[in-house]
Amino acid sequence: MAFFILRRFGVMILTALCLTFVVFFLTNLAPNLEKLAKTQGNARMSDAEVVSWLDRNGYGGPLIMRYGEWLGVVPGWVRLDAPTGQWRGRCLGPGDTPETAPRFCGLLQGDLGHSTVSDDEVSNIIGGRLALTGVLMFWAFAVIVPSALLVGVLAGMREGSRTDRVLSTFSIGTTATPEYVSGVIFIVLLASSQTGISPLLVQWGWLDGGTLFLGSARSAMDGANFWNFTLPVMTIAFYGMGYIARMTRASMAEVMTAQYIRTARLKGVSFRNIVLKHALRNALIAPFTVIMLQFPWLLTGVVIVETLFNYNGFGWTLVQAASNNDIELLLACSVVAVFVVLVTQLISDIGYVYLNPRIRIS
Amino acid sequence: MEPLSWSGDIGVFLNPIIIGATVVFAAAFLLNLVLTLAGQRAGEMVINADHSLSLQRGPVDYALLAMRYAVLVFLLTCVGYVIAGMVVADPQRAGIIGAMAAQLTPVWIGLVVLFAVSISFKRRLGLYGKLFDSPIGMTGFGLVMFWIFTAIFVQSIAPHGPIDVISQMRNELPGTPLPSPAEGQFQWYLLGGDNLGRCVFSRMVFGAFEVLKIAPLATLFAFMVGITLGVPAAYFGGKLDIGVTFVANLVLAFPVILLFYLLVAPEIVAAGIPNYLSMILFLFPILFLVILFNARYRTQPGLRNVIVAICIGVGGMAYLSLISNASDPDLPMLFRLWPEALDLFDVPGNLLIVFVSVVFVNSPTVFRIVRGIVLDIKTRDYVAAAQTRGEGPWYIMLWEILPNARGPLIVDFCLRIGYTTILLGTLGFFGLGVSPESPDWGSTINEGRRLLTIYPHPALPPALALMSLVLGLNLLADGLREESLKD
Amino acid sequence: MTNLSGGTRTTHPVAEMYAREYKAGQMSRREFMVRATALGVSAAAAYTMIGLKPAMAQRVTPPMGGKLRIQMQILALKDPRTYDWSQLGNVSRGLLEYLIEYNRDGSFSGILLDSWEANADATQYTLRVRPGVKWNNGDDFTAEDVAANFVGWCDTTVEGNSMAARMGGLVDSNTGQAREGGVVVVDPLTVQINLPAPDITLVPGIADYPSAIQHRDLIGTNPLDHGIGTGAYKIADHQVGISCRLERNTAHSYWGNAYLDEITFVDLGTDPAAWFAGAEAGEFDMTYETVGEFVDLFSAVGWTQSDVTTGATVVVRPNQLNAPYDNVEVRRAMLEAVDLSVVLELGMNGQGTVGENHHVCPIHPEYAALPPMVVDKAAANARLAAAGHADHNFTLISLDDGLGRFTCDAIAAQMRDAGMTVTREVLPGSTFWNDWLNYPFSATEWNHRELGVQILNLAYRSGVAWNETGFSNAEFDRLLDEANGIQDADARRVVMARLQQIMQEEAVTFIPFWRSLFRHYREGVLNADMHPKFEINVHHLGLAS
Repeated sequence: MAFFILRRFGVMILTALCLTFVVFFLTNLAPNLEKLAKTQGNARMSDAEVVSWLDRNGYGGPLIMRYGEWLGVVPGWVRLDAPTGQWRGRCLGPGDTPETAPRFCGLLQGDLGHSTVSDDEVSNIIGGRLALTGVLMFWAFAVIVPSALLVGVLAGMREGSRTDRVLSTFSIGTTATPEYVSGVIFIVLLASSQTGISPLLVQWGWLDGGTLFLGSARSAMDGANFWNFTLPVMTIAFYGMGYIARMTRASMAEVMTAQYIRTARLKGVSFRNIVLKHALRNALIAPFTVIMLQFPWLLTGVVIVETLFNYNGFGWTLVQAASNNDIELLLACSVVAVFVVLVTQLISDIGYVYLNPRIRIS
Repeated sequence: MEPLSWSGDIGVFLNPIIIGATVVFAAAFLLNLVLTLAGQRAGEMVINADHSLSLQRGPVDYALLAMRYAVLVFLLTCVGYVIAGMVVADPQRAGIIGAMAAQLTPVWIGLVVLFAVSISFKRRLGLYGKLFDSPIGMTGFGLVMFWIFTAIFVQSIAPHGPIDVISQMRNELPGTPLPSPAEGQFQWYLLGGDNLGRCVFSRMVFGAFEVLKIAPLATLFAFMVGITLGVPAAYFGGKLDIGVTFVANLVLAFPVILLFYLLVAPEIVAAGIPNYLSMILFLFPILFLVILFNARYRTQPGLRNVIVAICIGVGGMAYLSLISNASDPDLPMLFRLWPEALDLFDVPGNLLIVFVSVVFVNSPTVFRIVRGIVLDIKTRDYVAAAQTRGEGPWYIMLWEILPNARGPLIVDFCLRIGYTTILLGTLGFFGLGVSPESPDWGSTINEGRRLLTIYPHPALPPALALMSLVLGLNLLADGLREESLKD
Repeated sequence: MTNLSGGTRTTHPVAEMYAREYKAGQMSRREFMVRATALGVSAAAAYTMIGLKPAMAQRVTPPMGGKLRIQMQILALKDPRTYDWSQLGNVSRGLLEYLIEYNRDGSFSGILLDSWEANADATQYTLRVRPGVKWNNGDDFTAEDVAANFVGWCDTTVEGNSMAARMGGLVDSNTGQAREGGVVVVDPLTVQINLPAPDITLVPGIADYPSAIQHRDLIGTNPLDHGIGTGAYKIADHQVGISCRLERNTAHSYWGNAYLDEITFVDLGTDPAAWFAGAEAGEFDMTYETVGEFVDLFSAVGWTQSDVTTGATVVVRPNQLNAPYDNVEVRRAMLEAVDLSVVLELGMNGQGTVGENHHVCPIHPEYAALPPMVVDKAAANARLAAAGHADHNFTLISLDDGLGRFTCDAIAAQMRDAGMTVTREVLPGSTFWNDWLNYPFSATEWNHRELGVQILNLAYRSGVAWNETGFSNAEFDRLLDEANGIQDADARRVVMARLQQIMQEEAVTFIPFWRSLFRHYREGVLNADMHPKFEINVHHLGLAS
């Protein structure tokens, strides 16, 4: 088991290295750097000025060396700025000289670099944003997991029954409704003072002005409550739950046809006890792995929802960083994203092994 | 001219029926729910003393029966709207629904013919025929074919062009007549106008064409790439397997949305990255076909040479035409080498990018599925038999293993088209889509979303269209899976 | 508010002439205010000259205290000279004040200047510094500060310093710095500006958002780093793309009045739909700007509307350095094909007035009325064919969002109606602005300027930095020089008529409309009216108790 985890860990690091290098490569392509120079310096720079700007700001060296600097395995660049007589460098603050500053400053040293658009340290930015997304994800999962398992188990325990048909169609329906469709429909129905049910409620006097739910989750960043957080959570949960529900249903249906269940039925165990005591545990192995693998998949949903509801979390930051070519912020985002994907894969594998008595890895 | 009502004169007869059916359904549903909660069970078979069976109907059964008939009446009334709309022909009497039904006449004919032919020959049509045994599969197939026929007959269905602007019609409600229609022009905007005064109904119809132009083809390419890599990786195993699996996992670990932002950005496009990608990805279909036929006709060199030559000739020509565009000065030199005279067609840059990105994102998943299936199949006896027969590995892979893997692959293909459609919509949503005026559903939803709270009518039709197509594909996949498991 | 209203100098002889013209009905009130106050006459005095109650009195005095939230984009702060968005000025205005303020009625009033005056031919300006103003580090605000800022503004070696262009003749073209003897400190409260040639745009120039006044030792620094200013507020929290919070600086005794305790700018992105959702969710009390359909929508949910007519527009221009737009016939055909009233309707939701394809707005004092341009789609198509470009595919580039996009869609549709082939291309802001000057055919939003000649100088003179049309015409440049020296707007109008004509004849660009700008705020927000240049002076704002 230890060897298995160790090996998986090795593969994980290798994957993370490859991926960050790809992101680094794509964000550091010549046209992207030119764009960076022009947005940071001056929109009307000539080509020669762009080259000199890039040189002065440490974008001049070979790509692989700069990647090394970012990782923290190659010493950060330093350069004496001729006109001002000041030292400039990757690891240098204002007024520092190469002697006083650390030689390496990269990912390994815990330095994520500098966000060019926000003009701030990446580490200052990304922590708070991740926490916000964490809250959103937590509530989304708090809705998804129980409801999806319930729907899946109810549908799967009597395969082919009317309940099964209705619930299965419902879960297929939710998987066919991406966030950008359900989000807009929710807003029209529940969070508009012009259409949907809010004007009706106002008319009936159940609501004094405004809308039932809030169509913008900005206030949820300071304090999430039922009214400002329901729509973003529901939008993510709606699309996410269908898939898990179907997996649970399939798994449950398979378990219900297993020999030991049939034996239990023939022994006269009540249906309720069969489901709760015998079938459920085995039926939940497959959904568990699916739930873990759902994390990275929900990331796209989080990006859409955070954009739609103006919730400045991780997904929103990712979109901002990507559309402004904020290289180091984008790299930090991809490190986080890749880390989440790989860790959930690892947990899903380990969990599968633990839960399934038939699998043993030596 | 008067604005159209939703159901016109037809509604006078049909609206009460459909409302009645809905009310009956809702009442019966509530009754059923209450009775079930109160502990009433559906009637069960009772074996009588004379060995005959009888069903004792309880209140629950009657409620269920009422629900069933209500649904039936509801569906029949819907058909009634369509037929009446086609018969009446005059939109002012047929209403918006009737007029839309009339516009969609080619689709109805196509669907009826297709279903009639398919159902009458279903026993001879293999897996496809079996689909017509499953109501779910049939519903899904119907929905998908509805949109496919819509895309095929788009020119005769859409009353207006996708980017025809009539400025007075901006944000007008469904059924609004044109201010000064030209001779022979369709005189209404059936589903209203969008924020630029374009016909929402026409744009939705053209959107079907846009989506169905890209999604299935991109999925097909993704499958060719996935199969070409997945089958040998699983069959040979070893270093090849480890290598390709690692790369596939690499792409899978990438958050899709980040990947798209990186690939579709104008700067990356200017650097030619999508062209390099397409250069690699589009090679796989040719490779696949060449290996396929080479393995099959290895024993008949004459025929083999002819077929392989055709494959390479036609495929190569299409390949070079696809990836190069001599007239675009922004591209790297490599993609401008192929002479314009031999360039059969030029794919607009942003379309190519979207296409390539979608293929790139989908291929690793297909690879994983194919690999899993082949790992399972290669232990079967018929594979061992072929090996002892002395068949080459490629023959076994492509002509023994692959045909036996088709069931799950076809199912996944359907699901994946749906997923690709959603993905294309996501691209449109983030403004990374095909072109700004493109009527594709994702972009129109995104545009309509801005004014959603005042004018929901431009955003809802494409949203519902996208939902119904994906739903159809999912149902179709479900039906296929169910039927293929019955084998 | 009397302490805000500029100087109480004796009136200017030219201003008195303007007053006579106003009374004779030859000039609108707005024109009069712009011209008289630009000469150093205080707004109050100017109103008195024409026998009106001062408009400044329209600003009410709010009660002290309160917290206000304003929806506005938050960008990374930087050296004020290099500001490129008015939002930056609005954030720093609570800290860094301006010498002169441009009011929404078109007049100028002194903030850090007590008064100013120009000599008869507008070559010498005397600026009198407001006494008793202190920096929040305890230093006195003196003429040295003003002079140091002028020198800083003239420094052309600073990348992106847009003040240098506004300083005009004050910059020595040989050294790229302030002219020797151009900025003279007469005494601790007086600065004299000496120009080599008449320049009537100096006052509008130093009232613009990049001219925030920094401490004399801190020229060229980012205010966020040092926090030193004369304003009543301090920047308590600043997060790009999210929010910015200004708090009353209790350690500092502000020279004037500031009412609110706290102002928070909330960034809800660039999508107006998100702003509206935020408004319905109660996340702010006042918009930066309300656009398009949302104007009616905000009013419908009970917010107070404030609007102002401006010379802001969307310039949809071919670049003459690119074929086939170097051919004047092609450009003429394009202009001939497009009915601008339709573009106003579709692109701007009808909120504004129809343009005339030249960049001088009817509200500019020197605007000359010209006969309307002819729209003839058939003739346009024939003209294009005659020029040999009948099958040219016009690619029209715009931002992926906002007015420019819809305006371009509308123009593209009109050109298609005339049988031309048009492809639309949209780019995200980050990409678009990289190359906005050089696209062959694209759209740019231009904000309002106080005088007509200002924009012509900025954008249409041969070879100037922001010349995005590639237009270069010797006669045009010569006439523009001439116009720059004419202080009397009526005399200038004669020259302007010809300048406007040249723009139309040469078919330089589409100027489809003049925008009306809108803003909405909740009931109880005071002094929050829309400003033609989007300025928000946080010192004026207040909340009714």
